[in-house]
Amino acid sequence: MINFRLFFPLLLFSCLLLSSCSADKMSTYKKSKALLDTFVAITVVADSKETAEEAIDNAFDVIEKFGELINFYSDKSELSAVNRNAGIREVKVSPETLDIIEKAVYIAERSGGAFDPTIGPEIQLWDFFNKIRPSDADIRKNLSLVNYKNIIIDKGNSTVFLKKKDMLLDLGGIAKGYAADLAVQALKEKGISAGLVAVAGDIKAFGLKTDKKPWTVGIKNPRQKSSEDEIIAKIHLSGKAISTSGDYERYFMLNGQRFHHLLNPRTGYPAYACQSVSVIADQAVMTDAFSTALFILGPEKGLELAKEMGIDALIIDDKSSVHTTSGLEGILFLERNH
Amino acid sequence: MKETIKNTTLADRLLFLLLISLSVAGIFISRDALSQGSEVVIEVDGKPAYTLPLYEDRLVSVGGSYGDTLIEIKEKKVRVREAHCPNQICVKEGWISKGVIVCLPNKLIIIVGGSKKDEQLGIDAITG
Repeated sequence: MINFRLFFPLLLFSCLLLSSCSADKMSTYKKSKALLDTFVAITVVADSKETAEEAIDNAFDVIEKFGELINFYSDKSELSAVNRNAGIREVKVSPETLDIIEKAVYIAERSGGAFDPTIGPEIQLWDFFNKIRPSDADIRKNLSLVNYKNIIIDKGNSTVFLKKKDMLLDLGGIAKGYAADLAVQALKEKGISAGLVAVAGDIKAFGLKTDKKPWTVGIKNPRQKSSEDEIIAKIHLSGKAISTSGDYERYFMLNGQRFHHLLNPRTGYPAYACQSVSVIADQAVMTDAFSTALFILGPEKGLELAKEMGIDALIIDDKSSVHTTSGLEGILFLERNH
Repeated sequence: MKETIKNTTLADRLLFLLLISLSVAGIFISRDALSQGSEVVIEVDGKPAYTLPLYEDRLVSVGGSYGDTLIEIKEKKVRVREAHCPNQICVKEGWISKGVIVCLPNKLIIIVGGSKKDEQLGIDAITG
């Protein structure tokens, strides 16, 4: 004979315990893939694994197709066609390619050329892996090829023309952010209402997590000494994007000096006023390119530009001092010792 | 109280046992989730192919579109020692102790540790 006095309360307790776990059917799913010469990770909140995987795979396809258009290294890409025909003729491109180049020129204009997508000929001179610093003469020579004003866009005919021969359009400073925006749009079109797209360090978050909290993104410490101080700050994001440009990503040390990949388009040499710059805005295409622009401009002018553009920024200057815009109050949490 | 315990039946005891087992299992599951990541996950074409400990030195050869890629694990670091892809970006990446090495032509991703630690810190992604 079952003791009902004890059995039922226990059964009720067990039911409550189980239902508390399954009341909200939504779960988090994550997948990663090698795309755009980098690591892309997509996390979504969905009601089933099938829904999540279908949406994520579709977003990966969107990024892959976009990557084929703007791949700097592939001869088949539209970007390569534009570069091959520099100084020769205009090239007809697809709406996506035209759009990203338009956005790149817009950010170049707004940043007074601190971000310049025609930096290609200068970047090519540097070999950060083999620690090769180009000669001053070569840097000077290629400077005449760097100027976004020599990109001629004909929107009506959907063509792009680089005015000078040997000019090189390099969308590496904006493409990952643009791809993150495309992926989020693709996920939303598949009915996903919350997720996080990370194209390397260019991240866009939307909706809320299963615990109804915003997404948390860690910002790397530019002068990390151990695994304990990898993160310098955490930020809570929903409906926002974040990108970081740092002098620790691609660099080499020579005679005690750090040579990194964030080149000043006016001089052709690395910019030294910052160690890292994180930008927070609605679109990842903006955060990607403006993080580079603010890095080149330095903390003072960088913060001015951020305010002017209505975007937020966390700047760590050359002395490791932290500068932030007021919009980050309440969502940015600096780790101890900073 | 004594009376109540005396009056328990087999069903009650089974239920108790189930609840206790669940609690114990919970301790182990959370312990596992909180332990620091020290694994190397090698993904080929989006699917995990190998999961290896970071603290054991070894060489792993992974097939891809451009032949075999040689991955080396040594002193808690990982690198692509040899690859036959055209751009060699993966080889140029050098040694990493955390993070990701990508070889796009071979559809190869090497992920080193960290994810469990990030979860512990309450981080969903890292920028920079």
